Amino acid sequence: MSGFICSRCRASLQRVMHNQKRSINRSVREYSTKPRRANLIDINALLSKSTWSVRSLLPDPNAPPSEEITPAKLHHLLRLSALPLPTSPKEEAEMLKTLHSQLHFVKDIQKVDTEGVEPLQSIRDETEEGVKDITIGMEELKEAFEKEEIEGRNRRPRRRRVEVVDTNEVEDWDVLGTAGEKVELAGGQYFVVRSGKE
Amino acid sequence: MARIAPSVLRRYLFGGQLPAGGCLRQPRYCRSAAPSLSTKRYHGTQAPDTSTDSALSETTIPFRKQLKDEAKKRKAEGTGKKSKQNNQKLENWELTVGIEIHAQLNTERKLFSAASSSINDVPNSHVAFFDVAMPGSQPIFQKETLIPALRAALALNCEIQKTSRFDRKHYFHWDQPAGYQITQYYEPFARDGYITLYAHDGIAAEDGDEVRIGIKQIQMEQDTAKTISQPGDIHLLDFNRVGLPLIEIITLPQIHHPSTAAALVRKIQIILNAVDACVLGMQSGGLRADVNVSVRRRNSSSSSPNSYGGVTNLGQRTEIKNLSSFKAVEDAIIAERDRQIDLLEAGGVIEGETRGWTIGSTETKRLRGKEGEVDYRYMPDPDLAPVVIGDDLVSHLKNTLGILPDQDINILVEDYGLTTKDAMSLLSLNDGGTAEYFRNVVEEYLFLSPEEDLEKVGKLCGNWVLHEMGGLTHDLADEENPLKMTSSGSCLIPASELAQLLHYLSTDKITGRTAKKVLAELFASGLYTRGHTTNSVIYREGWWFTPLSELEYEGLAKEVLDANGKVVDEILAGKQGKVNFLVGQMMRGDQDGRVDASKARERVMKLIDALKG
Repeated sequence: MSGFICSRCRASLQRVMHNQKRSINRSVREYSTKPRRANLIDINALLSKSTWSVRSLLPDPNAPPSEEITPAKLHHLLRLSALPLPTSPKEEAEMLKTLHSQLHFVKDIQKVDTEGVEPLQSIRDETEEGVKDITIGMEELKEAFEKEEIEGRNRRPRRRRVEVVDTNEVEDWDVLGTAGEKVELAGGQYFVVRSGKE
Repeated sequence: MARIAPSVLRRYLFGGQLPAGGCLRQPRYCRSAAPSLSTKRYHGTQAPDTSTDSALSETTIPFRKQLKDEAKKRKAEGTGKKSKQNNQKLENWELTVGIEIHAQLNTERKLFSAASSSINDVPNSHVAFFDVAMPGSQPIFQKETLIPALRAALALNCEIQKTSRFDRKHYFHWDQPAGYQITQYYEPFARDGYITLYAHDGIAAEDGDEVRIGIKQIQMEQDTAKTISQPGDIHLLDFNRVGLPLIEIITLPQIHHPSTAAALVRKIQIILNAVDACVLGMQSGGLRADVNVSVRRRNSSSSSPNSYGGVTNLGQRTEIKNLSSFKAVEDAIIAERDRQIDLLEAGGVIEGETRGWTIGSTETKRLRGKEGEVDYRYMPDPDLAPVVIGDDLVSHLKNTLGILPDQDINILVEDYGLTTKDAMSLLSLNDGGTAEYFRNVVEEYLFLSPEEDLEKVGKLCGNWVLHEMGGLTHDLADEENPLKMTSSGSCLIPASELAQLLHYLSTDKITGRTAKKVLAELFASGLYTRGHTTNSVIYREGWWFTPLSELEYEGLAKEVLDANGKVVDEILAGKQGKVNFLVGQMMRGDQDGRVDASKARERVMKLIDALKG
């Protein structure tokens, strides 16, 4: 066969090729960067309207605050945090309102489904290597073991007591300089704290 | 608890003189001159009392009888009525107790700073920035603190958690500068342990021979500052103690009797000391116990929501804090149990509150009600990395714990033939030094006489080390530790000398009475550092035992018969039993213990027969 194709086959081949060419042209046109006039987006108009506002996380200012935080509970929370209690009903109402709105925000966050997710405590290297780095084994405590002696028939280890421990200058600062009130007695200097009602 | 020297007792009882040492503890000596029943239980701390008894019993027998009579009288009037009442109550109610023990770890430095740990040092001299919560300071975990912590957990049979984390427990107090304590609430480093208590540890009779109390967990945490309260609502603070490492041991509520609770605290202190984890005891404030008490009706079908650590159906519990001694633990539990039962029987309801106990009171006092209940808002501490403990460290520590107290007692009882009581006394004296000394003496003795049975030798040496040496006293000697026994087992009388003395005694080279005299001489020699040996003393004093010759027996027997003509007549008349009386008279006359009873009897019989004939 020396490249002889019958006229019928040639026609169908031509039809296929023609179709392919047309579809290539069409898709190229679709992916083209040149925008079509009809689909042009107005950036300024788009950005002028907000689709989300943090206000959605705030409680409706017109709706009355829910009763779940009672004044008693507020006082309890303030006492736990060593904060001063409100001095007037107006101040108390303000505090309750603020607390209420904060809780509303928290409730929104709680809507996220965290089923099966371990709470993150801090960002650390949790790879095998990372864990091996912080593992405390015999090597890390070599020095401490050298400071021990085995005593008696019972072979019990006992820490040797040193007269002065090398504290790396951690203790060398004026501790009592931070005292609001201090006193010096026979033994040494102490911080003074008063507990009576004023 | 200090030992009462016999000389002090003697001076007080016979001369009415109080010791002129001038220190506050003296009145306690005198008050406890007549030991009460409760001292019998605390073998470890009260053992020297028995030696005092035996020492004095040689000089004045009536005194011992006097003590016994007093104890009997006290028993009759003190506990008689109450015990009946108690039995009635306890038939209907079951007590449940859970204990939380805080013990200071034996470390060089604090838990999260490099400041050194100290006891009674110059105040505020060992304080790092982080200890007083200086803004900007960060905690740095001191890994060496893991060693005693792990030892404590292993000695209490806990499972060590490979990874554990630190949490913050928030509350405000002047002795906690940061406003929170760093502890291990959610993920402690040790869980699910247990401690076995035996009858000889002082558990309640109702608990039988042994009882096993589970330990829920052991966690590491920080200590607070030391407060010295002064009149006028003034408090002086010493921050040396803040940040020191503590372990908190939480038991399961499986204790059902007050004395078992006290025994548990005592045993935990002993075990922690043995593994060098916590070497300060309750008396010095290095070990504190908080007790949770609840009661429930026995055979009750109703259920209650209260449960803890898997133990269900418990009554409402109250917590008792500020317990500073073993006896306080027991007394407070009894008082609280009675209070709760009375309240419930009267139809009241127990409130979950915190109560306090002062020594000498009859009821616990409320410290903090439910309204004042603090919400600690536990949260993981983000500044601290998790503690990851290597397996090699755990297995090394497990293998090198050494022989623990229970095993120690077993060795002394099974191998050395001592009674459990004696074994415990030996071990409790001088931080194990006396027990070490005892074993040295036995070792030396066996050098001299390798063939002898270890149990026999053990019994002999044990008797002498505990009772004979325990009774030694001298004006120059220190009252607390007259023999200057060290914790490694050396004292004023070298083990080899005592062994030599006991060997002579058991081979009849000297008499028992002489042996005691030699012991006193060795003691004096040690005090004055004269360096005399057993041999030199015996030779010098000529105390070698020489048995009576036949002639001397003859002479002594004749004397006795001549002096007791009436008795001789009775014997000749037929009363053979009276021979014993004559033998007794011969022994009485003998000051040096040289008369052998059977030989004496022989002589007497011979002479009687001669008279008959």
